[in-house]
Amino acid sequence: MSQLLAYKNVFVKYRHNHAGVYSIKDLLTTFSMPFQYKTILDDVSFTLNKGESLGILGRNGSGKSTLLRTMANIVKPYKGTIECVGSIAPILALGVGLEMELTGYENIDLLLALYGQGRDKKRIADIIAFSELDDVTLKQAVKCYSSGMLARLSFSISFANDCAIYIIDEVLAVGDFGFQSKCIQKINELKTQGKSIIFVSHFPDEVERICDKAILLEHGKIMYQGNAHDICSKYREMF
Amino acid sequence: MQHLNQLYALSKRNIIVRYKHSLIGFFWGFFKPLLYLLIFIVIFSSQFSSTSNHVLYITSGILFWFFFSNCTSQGVQSIVQASGLLKSVYIPAIFFPLAEVIGELFNVLLALSVYFIVMHWFGMVYTLQLFWVLPILLLFAIFSFSVTLILSALNVFYRDVGILWNTIQPAIFYLTPIAYTESLIPQRFSFVIKANPIYYFIKLFRYPLYEAIAPDFYLMGKCVLITFISLSIGILLFNRLKNQFITAI
Repeated sequence: MSQLLAYKNVFVKYRHNHAGVYSIKDLLTTFSMPFQYKTILDDVSFTLNKGESLGILGRNGSGKSTLLRTMANIVKPYKGTIECVGSIAPILALGVGLEMELTGYENIDLLLALYGQGRDKKRIADIIAFSELDDVTLKQAVKCYSSGMLARLSFSISFANDCAIYIIDEVLAVGDFGFQSKCIQKINELKTQGKSIIFVSHFPDEVERICDKAILLEHGKIMYQGNAHDICSKYREMF
Repeated sequence: MQHLNQLYALSKRNIIVRYKHSLIGFFWGFFKPLLYLLIFIVIFSSQFSSTSNHVLYITSGILFWFFFSNCTSQGVQSIVQASGLLKSVYIPAIFFPLAEVIGELFNVLLALSVYFIVMHWFGMVYTLQLFWVLPILLLFAIFSFSVTLILSALNVFYRDVGILWNTIQPAIFYLTPIAYTESLIPQRFSFVIKANPIYYFIKLFRYPLYEAIAPDFYLMGKCVLITFISLSIGILLFNRLKNQFITAI
């Protein structure tokens, strides 16, 4: 099996603004150095092979989202190497990148361009069909949408990307039951096509259902990695 | 190629969003300079009795001032407003201020084409020298982009940079000879005007637009130097700060 993604001893540090200096006024009235470095990812190593799906579990603030951002090349590690073969679909999170003033159609167009995808008729028709939003809704400005509708739209656009790895960050919680099962179905379909899924969730049941492997993060360190079932039971024990 | 598509999509979005729910669309772009023009004609009409063609004189400056003002005051928020996109898609952060400037460049070119027609009645001389406006505009756009880069990067960390900038803008405006002639400034205060980089660009624009002659190449050289220095500072600062954007927005 070919390796798609390999993390070797990756460290990520953020400059952390601990004194709450957010304006020039604050800067002039604070005497301590406002910035400190904080380690977010601490010596993270793992590999992902083609066709495997990886679950990422961990408490709030344990570094899950940062880990996803390093995959998408948005955050750069200050130490360690990330080797990535094959394309990665944009991180799927709620309503990201949707321009509230634009209509649904205009947003599809904008996001496909930003994701670097073609904007042919078939792809757009697929997106519309998957989102199950009607023509009237799509002609409305996105700001009038409910959060479930926003999730449908952004989810549909992200799935239209033709990539080797798909990153899904806790989005299944918002859509209604019908859309959730449709998404699970879509994820399984992608898996049978040999695509890799990276799945972040707080629900170990979902991770067990979707993923083969899993990682348990704690304070930016990988506590356990291995078979999804074992990791999920470890995660349940944490609470 | 993909990056070009991204930049194009962002610029298009900026142009569409700006006038999306407005009554008269991009005509707002003409309305603001026009209003200022009327104010200045009323207030400064006595001062301008010595200047021929004062409508042409004012418009040839005011149009580009508003280009600069719009670029910077909208661009200063560009990184902060793009937080959702920056956190989820890999797009070079520099595209957000750049797209603001490109969107504004589109608007000023529209305004300029209307201006070329209307100014016929205010004594504009149509010569080949008018084409000098395009390279000067490009130079001015790069300068505006540099200022936008610096402001937008700083605004991520100190959110009152945007407020501060909007506060000092009128001061810069009145320190630029747009509504008045340079000769009005007393000799001992002329250094204040000369410290203002926009003064040089506005003066350069007036060669082809107002006087209908080729620009002074010495002044042009000065503007190229100003642009080069500000762009260097802008890019250096932006590159130093851009890795911290994700955590601060």
